[in-house]
Amino acid sequence: MDWATQAASVLQAAVVLLLAPLLAGIAARAKAWTESRRGPSIFQPYRDLAKYLKKETLLPRGASRVFVVAPFVAFGTYLLIAIVVPIITPYPIPFAPTVDFLGGGLLFGLAGIVTLLAAIDSGSNYSALGASRTVSFAALAEPTLIVVFFAVAVISGTNSPYVTNNLLTASTAAYLSPTHLLVTAAFFLLLLAETGKLPVESAGLMEFGMIEDGRIFEHSGRLLGLFRWNGWMKQFLLCSVFVNVFALPWGMIATPTLWGAAANIVLLLAKLGLLVAILVVVEATVAKVRLFKIRDFLALSFSLAVLAVFAFAVLGVP
Amino acid sequence: MISASEATALVGVGILLTALYLQSESFVDPLIRGIALQSLLVAGLLAGLAWTEQSIELAVLAGLTIAVRSLLIPYVLRAQLQSFRWRVREVRAAHRVTSHALGAVALAIVAWFIFQETLAPIFPQPGAALPFILLVEGLFMLATRSTTLVQVIGYLEAENAVVYAGALFAKSFPLFVEVVVFLDVLGVVLVGIILSIQREVTGTPEEASLSELSG
Repeated sequence: MDWATQAASVLQAAVVLLLAPLLAGIAARAKAWTESRRGPSIFQPYRDLAKYLKKETLLPRGASRVFVVAPFVAFGTYLLIAIVVPIITPYPIPFAPTVDFLGGGLLFGLAGIVTLLAAIDSGSNYSALGASRTVSFAALAEPTLIVVFFAVAVISGTNSPYVTNNLLTASTAAYLSPTHLLVTAAFFLLLLAETGKLPVESAGLMEFGMIEDGRIFEHSGRLLGLFRWNGWMKQFLLCSVFVNVFALPWGMIATPTLWGAAANIVLLLAKLGLLVAILVVVEATVAKVRLFKIRDFLALSFSLAVLAVFAFAVLGVP
Repeated sequence: MISASEATALVGVGILLTALYLQSESFVDPLIRGIALQSLLVAGLLAGLAWTEQSIELAVLAGLTIAVRSLLIPYVLRAQLQSFRWRVREVRAAHRVTSHALGAVALAIVAWFIFQETLAPIFPQPGAALPFILLVEGLFMLATRSTTLVQVIGYLEAENAVVYAGALFAKSFPLFVEVVVFLDVLGVVLVGIILSIQREVTGTPEEASLSELSG
């Protein structure tokens, strides 16, 4: 374990921590353009974060320690994911071998569960409604994620995102295989659902369509700030895994040097910029589906993921 | 560049995707567009095979598939939609999108297992199960839908499966037999339209469901 890979780990965690709000800011600004608005500054999430961290934290009557601890546990979990998945390094960094795709999925699940517990602990009907909605949709979203991992394992013969990245970079046949194309489509639909994008969720609809935001309805001040930061980190991590492992695995510099990592940061931002453009087009062109129709949307994602594995069985090629 | 077999596999999965889309869609007009797309993909497969096999018969068959199944039959079916309001959507299917989508995937897996146990030793090539799966999906649509026009689409899907199988396993099949199949399909479409008109006179359960929605 040399100093360069250790430094890359620290740099990767810092990139996720510091650039996640920027990605959210860029997405909000780009969405405003499609609506013929000037939109907020791309640095607005940083200002929001500073404001939340300065404000007083109010606790609902009857809330236990879970309500306070949950945002910190979720924050730590996302930070842990940040040092085990390929974000700015196509080579395994020190903690990477400890977690594969499945482990990453479980960590995302852990962060989601503690957020749910905090929502229920608040004793608020709104938060409980958000928690209830999240769980009912997760019943289809989580199996999709698991089947996506199976499909990745089928493609690369392993469950490591690093190996998958290297294989897809090296082999055009593997990249254009039906299994990979279907699993990429399934993961994209899941990305829309998990990051609260249309047609699943609209941030402007308040409690009528609230799913993810409904869970943190009762949090305020620093705790709310941490939850917001968690949401941005989750979005940054999922988008990074999508572009680096599934959709655009090429171009990362494999030399474990700080200059290589710096170049990979620029490349990652370019890829994320492209993904944000696609997400904005999707958000500008599709309408929000009714709440009980989200199940249909997730069923489509699940069907595509199952088909990805099935395509391998039928065609005999990944 | 991808090889011919990889391109065939991609088109095959595309055909399977259209089959799953048809299972989960309840509006009739998108269903007609879906079956036209599926027929176009089958025609593309035939055209690709005609190119690699240097077969004029397969090229003619690809042209016929586009003319009859992608253009003529969808045109006739969509013309029917203009006249009758209740045919635009199959209301019962609209409430079961999730179960139809998941059911279609489950059915595809079951069909693949049946194929593996029965026909796989005879047709060992990769992707040989796809036409069989498509046939089962088409028959499933015929059995689960109640509107005649949608059942006609299920029948067209089953016929697409036959042409797909013919393209994969019987490339030298006499052209006139395939042409007879096309005429057969046209006949079924006409019978379906006549039955639809008859239902307009005698009434249909779908009509009752829609009248509840009118404001």
